[in-house]
Amino acid sequence: MTTTSDLRTALLSADPRLSKFSPLPRILAFDEFDRGTHGWTELLGNYNGRGDLSTVDDHMRDFRPPQLSACNFFDIGTHGALSGTYALKLATRPHKGHTAVAIRRLTMSGRGLVQLETYFAFKSEATLGGGAELDNFGDVQWDGNTHPSEAQFGAFTVATDLCGDGGLRYHTVARYQNTDLDNHFTRRWMAPTVPEPTPREHFEGKVKLEYAADFTAPNPEDWQAFGEPQELCYNEVPTKVNWHYLRWLIDTDKRRNVELQVNDRVMDMRDVPVPPYEERYETLENLLNFYFSVRTHSSVRNFLFLDSVLISVDW
Amino acid sequence: MTAVLERDTTFDTRFATEPYEVAWAGEARWFVQHVGGDGTATYVTQVSPDGITWCDLDDVEHIVEPGKLVSWPAAGFGHWLRLRAKVEGSVQVRIHLAVKA
Repeated sequence: MTTTSDLRTALLSADPRLSKFSPLPRILAFDEFDRGTHGWTELLGNYNGRGDLSTVDDHMRDFRPPQLSACNFFDIGTHGALSGTYALKLATRPHKGHTAVAIRRLTMSGRGLVQLETYFAFKSEATLGGGAELDNFGDVQWDGNTHPSEAQFGAFTVATDLCGDGGLRYHTVARYQNTDLDNHFTRRWMAPTVPEPTPREHFEGKVKLEYAADFTAPNPEDWQAFGEPQELCYNEVPTKVNWHYLRWLIDTDKRRNVELQVNDRVMDMRDVPVPPYEERYETLENLLNFYFSVRTHSSVRNFLFLDSVLISVDW
Repeated sequence: MTAVLERDTTFDTRFATEPYEVAWAGEARWFVQHVGGDGTATYVTQVSPDGITWCDLDDVEHIVEPGKLVSWPAAGFGHWLRLRAKVEGSVQVRIHLAVKA
């Protein structure tokens, strides 16, 4: 006898757009960027009642608009995406520490498991011209296989902004740190041990961060690694795009991480801290935000490409 | 789609906007607003084959004076767009790029 579960599995397996995902029972969003940005937009800090953008925090005023990219490169032209021609591209400025952020805003109609899946790729911008000294960067000397471009990529992050139950606000965060701030490979997954500084904390005079500060958690000492280091597929040069699978599961009932899968690696995140804000927040009831960010640790633009994102829940 | 490529940024010398990919778009229009400063800037639309190397799309210069909003279309632009600007004095600029399929 065919069960409802069997039928659902068969339908998902027969759909080439969905069969590359493993969604929970209810799909909240299925974002194929070949067809638009699907609500992934630039994050900007808060401003005053007169629309005066000079009141936006310096470290949250320049997160850059996400782009629909055909993955065009100087050497081969259009690379294209996994599911079509276009991917969502987050691009930093060529400024050490600069971060680009795309956010998607929903609310929660229940509590329980929330899962985000994506196919992603990360690249540094190609360098054209210059002298032989540009064949070296960080830990890399170009040898026909490894390329200095890989050491010019800093980090990318997937995270949430969640609030409910009377204004209790918290973030779950997973960051892949490719290099440290000195451009040495670390290739590890990290999460902050403190909540993200907010515009209200700035307004209250508690914190003031400079342009290009790490907005998720500005102090490197406030990050701790989880799981084992993981090498991803940069694929040698800055103009080859290999798509990686990422599946991240959190629990909004317990306000905890559950696990992170990246390609063939599954990391238990249940013990990764999820520090809530001590003070309660208003106007955010049932907030369910997701963001991706990319941060350069060099003076080279860093890119995070997303082919597609699927968000599903068990409620 | 509308992208804000500069948001009330102050310049007192030449600058160019960050590269923006428009391969999917058939129409584009710039909106350049001087929201502060007492200077004047001259803008030229630029295109690129790769987002790295740039040339002017045309020989039209667009002059924006203090407090003014100026708009112009771009056509036949390929896969990338940006603006380059020459600045006299100090300008605080807000630059929107509106693109359509």
